[in-house]
Amino acid sequence: MKLTDVLETTKIEPHCGMCKIDFLGTGVCPAGKKHGFVAYWPEGRMELARALAENEVQPTPALIDIVNSCNLCGICDRQCNFITQRRPTHVEHALNDYVKTLKPNTMKPAPEDDVVKDLRAIVGNDWATNDPIIITSYVRSIIKQKSTGKFYIVMPKSTEEIVAIVQLAEKYKIPYLPRGNGTFFGVVLQTLLAEPACIEQGIIIDLYRMKDISIDPEAMTATVGPGVTSFELQTAAHAHNLRANVAEAESHVCSNAQNLGIITTWSNTYGWGTDNFIDAEMIDPTGAIMHLSDKEIPNPYASEQGLLSLSLIPTVIVTQLTLKLHQILEDEEAIFVPFANLPDALDFAHNLARRNIGISLAVISSKYLTEFISPTHEVAEGFNYIAKKYLKLNYIVDVICDKYDKKIIESLAEVSFDKTMIKSLILGSSKIASMKDSSLLKMISEEDNPLKAVFGGPLRKHFEKGLAASPKELVKVFDEDLREFFEKLYSKPEMTDAVWLHSFRILPSRMERKHMWMYRGGYMPGDKKTILKVVDALEKPAEQYHIEGAFGFLSYLERGKLAHLEYDYYYDHTDPDARKRVNKAIVESWRRQFAIKGVTPLEFICSKGLHRKEHILYPFPAGLSKDELGHFEELIETLFGSEDTW
Amino acid sequence: MVKYLSEEWATQAKKKVLEELDMKKDLKNMNASLLNVVQNVPPDQKTVYFYIRFVDGKLEELLTGSDESIKGKNAEFTFTGDYTTFMQISSGQTSSAMALLKNRVKMTGNKMKALTITKPIDTFNACIAKLQTEY
Repeated sequence: MKLTDVLETTKIEPHCGMCKIDFLGTGVCPAGKKHGFVAYWPEGRMELARALAENEVQPTPALIDIVNSCNLCGICDRQCNFITQRRPTHVEHALNDYVKTLKPNTMKPAPEDDVVKDLRAIVGNDWATNDPIIITSYVRSIIKQKSTGKFYIVMPKSTEEIVAIVQLAEKYKIPYLPRGNGTFFGVVLQTLLAEPACIEQGIIIDLYRMKDISIDPEAMTATVGPGVTSFELQTAAHAHNLRANVAEAESHVCSNAQNLGIITTWSNTYGWGTDNFIDAEMIDPTGAIMHLSDKEIPNPYASEQGLLSLSLIPTVIVTQLTLKLHQILEDEEAIFVPFANLPDALDFAHNLARRNIGISLAVISSKYLTEFISPTHEVAEGFNYIAKKYLKLNYIVDVICDKYDKKIIESLAEVSFDKTMIKSLILGSSKIASMKDSSLLKMISEEDNPLKAVFGGPLRKHFEKGLAASPKELVKVFDEDLREFFEKLYSKPEMTDAVWLHSFRILPSRMERKHMWMYRGGYMPGDKKTILKVVDALEKPAEQYHIEGAFGFLSYLERGKLAHLEYDYYYDHTDPDARKRVNKAIVESWRRQFAIKGVTPLEFICSKGLHRKEHILYPFPAGLSKDELGHFEELIETLFGSEDTW
Repeated sequence: MVKYLSEEWATQAKKKVLEELDMKKDLKNMNASLLNVVQNVPPDQKTVYFYIRFVDGKLEELLTGSDESIKGKNAEFTFTGDYTTFMQISSGQTSSAMALLKNRVKMTGNKMKALTITKPIDTFNACIAKLQTEY
């Protein structure tokens, strides 16, 4: 197999980083776990294969070591197939065949320089490198493609080692940038925001090895190092029957907290930003260690607003975070309330938010619902088609609540899905997707309220029965050699338990299995009028530049006083024209969002996650005047050049 | 070839700006004063101040040096950063706005006003980047 045979697969590799966590109970890639550097993980091998196929890097002896370290155990195929339908072992076969064509004596190791020698003196020989092959595996997930800078990768094990690395960077006058799992970079680096987000040369501090985690069940807190992922923290918390408010499974807790403040569907109850934290240990650019709890430091919460407050690079490295954990109630259950249109869904959800009903509460689109719960993108598209066209199921008010709140919601909702129906939708997703030509569904779609017709009466039982939902049926969409594994997997209760899935968040990466996406949206007042204005401000640019745009999810804060909205632009990041269009749509969405009072676009939250929301979101931004929007245009041109160069 | 941040460089930079930039079109008739605090200037890692003042788009002052008189100038905006970063800005490799975004420089002053001078300051930097400079 040639590298070019797998080029299409490797080019669209989204760098989701899910291969680094044991989310299916298979264990993780043994080579990655042993060596740490991204190059040894499936996602890194894919990036290497792409770069070699496109002649962006020349092989060094490290390539032989990386290829030989893979024992083709197949763990990555199960993990990656579950999320993105890819087969990393195919890429490994191609790399194996490629390596056989090389003459080892023609390859030269990267020459050592003083910086790498000094880095090795700090972390040990195995954990610092300037080898271009290893560096290449970080391309598109912290380094821009075709970057010409000189880079080093270092993997510290302790806060003291990071201090020494920061001081070394200062000594050599070179930049440094910490890297968690690279998922934020994986998305942003495909857009015009790449330049302000990436490192153009210098030291990449890969925090993977710093996995210390401790739970204090009495205080209900967790203290984590910067290498701990959301999934790992949630697993540790659940062992004590506690829940952490965490981002997507693969994200590193410390970096996500610092970068985005941890945005979840649980925010109406658990809050955002510092609502979740007890303390943080940080290293500043001089190498000084400080804590949020220190008395003699500048106000850590002070924050700027406005266009010049944008910063995608944090000023400090968070090396430890102590978070609040929350009790899990014994009667928690998921309930979904379907809606044909967004205003109705917002009314319903806001009413619950104001009354503090539900622990996790969100409005999600049918796009999210179907993409997350369907085993393949094709099934998701088919399911979404049925949902929208026949069932008029466009939005879901998605609630995790106790038995008391469940009764209230059921009494308020015309139609709702309980845990049994949710399980049927998950296991029956491929069956639903296959019903495009169903004459019964066509007939139902002509009803005034198809949702009520299907789910609100006696037809519901027949619908559920007709789905014949079972793991055995569902896994027919997977490759034949993986079906037995997936049948066992989908037989596990958690795989169809919406409460578990909302806590562990292993499904969101599925949204990038077909194409790349770009997060739009941000924070705003929780009233329906503002939210609909913002949705329109995000929808219009997508239409204007022919980008697929879709509402993602909306969650509330402070009993519905504030809301967070995620709206996504989906595009093919390997297509230069699509990238240009998405860049134009991003800028246009800023223009439109900035004109709305009270709206803080997501980018302007970046790097402020450790702040109090009160310092960032208040006072509500007034909405830019015409003159100010003119200056905004000038700023954009100064930062990114003229539109035709994007 | 003139040495970056030297007196000679300051003189030539000012001359170039006055000769080549239009006060209205390029410099937007701006009224602003900026003090750049350039840290770790080689060879002895000292701090050098680089002060500019515009009146109605005209560059009235462009001063560089380590002495207290420049440091004490009452500037509306102060930009503090490393020599490497200022070298990149003055040579056109990056913009001051990008350096700000990447946390490579710290700014004090009115952010809303700063927004109004972003473009003319970028034009100013692009102009002085054309000087034959030894960094």
